[in-house]
Amino acid sequence: MALVRVALLTEGGYPYLTGEARLWCDRLVRGLEQHEFDVYALSRSERQEARGRVGLPPNVTGVRTAPLWTTDDRTLHGAGPRGGRGRGARRRFLACLAELAEVVCRGTGPGPDSSDPDDMADRFRNALHGLAELARAEGGLVGALRSEAAVRTLERACRAPGAPAAVRAARVPDLLAAAGLMERALRPLSLDWYGDGALGSADLCHATAGGPAALPGLLAQHFAGVPLLVTEYGVRLRAHYLAAGEAGLGAPARALLASFHGRLAAEVYREAALITPGNTHVRRWQERCGAERAKLRTVHPGMAADRFAEIGERGYDGRADASGTLLWVGRVEPAKDLVSLLHAFAEVRAAEPGARLRIVGTAAEGREAEEYLTRCRALAARLFPGPDPADGAHDDGAVSFEEIGGPGVPDLADAYAAGAVVVLSSVVEGFPISLVEAMFCGRATVSTDVGAVVEVIGGTGLVVPPRDPGALAEACVALLRDPARRERLGAAARARALELFTVEQNVAAFRGIYLEIVSHCPVRRDALDEAGEPVPFAHPAEAHVPGRWAASASTAEAAATPSWAGRETDGRDRLKGAAV
Amino acid sequence: MKRQDGTGGAVDAPPPMEPSADTEIGAEIEAAAPRHGAADPVKALMRRHHDLCARAVDPLEIAAGLEAHGLTDRAAGRYRHRDVFSLAEEMYARVPRDDDVAGGLSGDSVDVRHGSAVAPGWALFALLPGAACAATAAAVPRVGAGAARLAVVLGGALAVALALRCALRRGPLRVTPRRAPATRAWVCWLLLYALLGDALLRDAVAGGPDEPGDLWEPAVAPVLALTAAVAPAALCARLLALAAGRRLRASRGLDEFAASARPLVFGAVALFLGALAGLLAAARTLPGAPGAWPAGAGALGALLFLARLLAVHGFRRAPALLLAAAGACEVTALALVFAGRLPGCDVLAAPVTAAVDSWGPGVVPAAACGAAALVLLIHAARTLTLASAHARTGAAP
Repeated sequence: MALVRVALLTEGGYPYLTGEARLWCDRLVRGLEQHEFDVYALSRSERQEARGRVGLPPNVTGVRTAPLWTTDDRTLHGAGPRGGRGRGARRRFLACLAELAEVVCRGTGPGPDSSDPDDMADRFRNALHGLAELARAEGGLVGALRSEAAVRTLERACRAPGAPAAVRAARVPDLLAAAGLMERALRPLSLDWYGDGALGSADLCHATAGGPAALPGLLAQHFAGVPLLVTEYGVRLRAHYLAAGEAGLGAPARALLASFHGRLAAEVYREAALITPGNTHVRRWQERCGAERAKLRTVHPGMAADRFAEIGERGYDGRADASGTLLWVGRVEPAKDLVSLLHAFAEVRAAEPGARLRIVGTAAEGREAEEYLTRCRALAARLFPGPDPADGAHDDGAVSFEEIGGPGVPDLADAYAAGAVVVLSSVVEGFPISLVEAMFCGRATVSTDVGAVVEVIGGTGLVVPPRDPGALAEACVALLRDPARRERLGAAARARALELFTVEQNVAAFRGIYLEIVSHCPVRRDALDEAGEPVPFAHPAEAHVPGRWAASASTAEAAATPSWAGRETDGRDRLKGAAV
Repeated sequence: MKRQDGTGGAVDAPPPMEPSADTEIGAEIEAAAPRHGAADPVKALMRRHHDLCARAVDPLEIAAGLEAHGLTDRAAGRYRHRDVFSLAEEMYARVPRDDDVAGGLSGDSVDVRHGSAVAPGWALFALLPGAACAATAAAVPRVGAGAARLAVVLGGALAVALALRCALRRGPLRVTPRRAPATRAWVCWLLLYALLGDALLRDAVAGGPDEPGDLWEPAVAPVLALTAAVAPAALCARLLALAAGRRLRASRGLDEFAASARPLVFGAVALFLGALAGLLAAARTLPGAPGAWPAGAGALGALLFLARLLAVHGFRRAPALLLAAAGACEVTALALVFAGRLPGCDVLAAPVTAAVDSWGPGVVPAAACGAAALVLLIHAARTLTLASAHARTGAAP
């Protein structure tokens, strides 16, 4: 018997083979096998669907998918191009759309007529709910949201007094692009996922990303009162900004879309019962977008530690210590700034002539990465003339470039085993996976202060500013010369990683969060008899009162006065119970 | 780094930044740390990220861009800000903003339907149906009667159908998703009527047909002209798409676009009608062509072109309805003539008989298809001038 029916909402992720965060989802679903999962997946491209799905464990009872990349599905157009069959429905569609467009056109920033932000958020939500109800009653709104009437509504809102200058300059291509992309983000409105057999019967919606992935959760909460949990390992809004910059959209279109996505993110954060950012960086963005602090629980991503258990327990042995080897592990790409690393190593080499640098990378993907690798090799050859550094680990060259699976490094654990100090030289980093691996192996680390590095390392390694070869070299030399300190830091790092970054802690955190949400925000459903009629008084009135009514009802005093009628202790309990 | 553990590289992997050449590294470092005593470190930062600042539509975009370049909250501290967000806000507020610039930047790359994405070689494919039909028409009289002739006719029909399929599946006349089977059946019926209908109606009014051989008096010339007209139809659709795309990019408002697109639609239709008239006139000079001007074929050509053009731009309902209506009219005309032979039902056949007697059998398709085409033309003038009709709607951007 399943404890909790969880609806897992994804966008371009699990269960597709090429999906983002699919490993995390897979581990979560397999780790919480006592719960029942239904997966609701939005796919991003035809290729993604064609590549197939991962194998699903038995506790995944259903998978529903919907494409974001095509509008050619007839069910998506159920309401026709005018938003409904009757005149009333059409009028309501236009009214909701006009409201949405007006709120979006005002932008998220403080405008010239600084209207109440809460008021705008309410209007956005009402418009969204109105459209969702319309889509539920009339059928899919895809055609209507891309129709001329929709574009015209958007144009009117852009030209309205009070709209910011960036939006007022919108031309026809901007309007069309913005309307099309907004429709795409609103695609979940047109899906038939909210009935009793689907999201409506879930106990909990778990959105694995913000933005469009969480939209079905918002609607399930609106229609059926299902609580929503949002997990973000990368900020969807930030990804949107970076993608919009690259997509070559015009400034007005980008302004409209930024405002829309900002509002959507704020609405998701506002409605979510709990939000679990993957690291502090994500948490800051969420707070910035209006997430309440009380709802935020940082849950670090988990990584499989067992591969590194042996090395970690062994700690530094003679082989690693004697070599004086600096180790860099990762995918070779410009953001990793290997150039700085090589310059830093030149300084290290000047201070410690016996030092070696091993650069262990996965195969370079793409032309840019290959060019970068070639450049780094050339730089290494110039800085450290001698035997060809490309020959692998067996020569006596100062720098070696190796690939995992190559002759010198059969697997990753071996690479870590032979390193004295692990170096991370990135200028841009999200959650530094190779750093966590080094911590699992009990290796001392030197890393640059980017992304979540400081949060991950937490004082168990050295941190230097990015793009500063001098500081990097100094830190490396300090660790190379001090084996005792290296060992101390490595042990501390391993203890920290085992405490914070294992798969088990991740799964355990979500197990607790699921139960917490289900106990604090249970879905209230009408009890039905065999004929499908609602049973009157199936739930006692007390069931709707938050707080510990059952416990206090046992005392004689409480039997005389109803528990909710204003005893102080109950009031406190109520607050405690309601604080989620 | 994407490997088989961790969270599959999903944890917030920002896009790679521009590669910094190794010779620039010294300059980069110097620039990254504001010089002591510099009065305005933010100004230097703004100069370095000039494009980002000029492009940004709100402070968060600058914050996202700065973070993608490796700027952290601790680095923001050196610019006397609490975090990247407040630094980005200052930068956003200090960027000089010109409204005209924002307008000029807009929408250079918005995808316009078929503006660029048509399969190469579509023009060649558009010529195929006419060629197939001409080959069949030339081959049929040279084979003797009987089974051999039947085989040639059937083979020719198959070839024309395949060629039409190729021509319509790719190029500017492509429709996604495909049309409903009912619509396709009506189109086939209309073409069949153009081939055989006039002769059948003439016979029926005169009291025939007396023997099965009377059924086979095909009007080859107009059908040949119609199949050849696929090429100008594709050309006109392409020209309309390109011109509308250009107008779309140049328009400030939807009404302005509608006003400027109307002449384009009429122009495209007029161009096609001109080409069709030319083809029909050329077909009349062929040996064995009937003397009467094939008005029915002309009207049918206009109807089919408009229906396809509307379907290409996402309007399916009206073309499907009107194709069905035109086909039904032709069925009714034939049925009425035959129904008139029943005792006491003379009056049913009277209108069709009178019309055929005065204007010839071509009046039925000309009236049916002509009226439908006229309605579609009015519909096209209203719908094809909408900007949303020219936006890409199929695949997501």
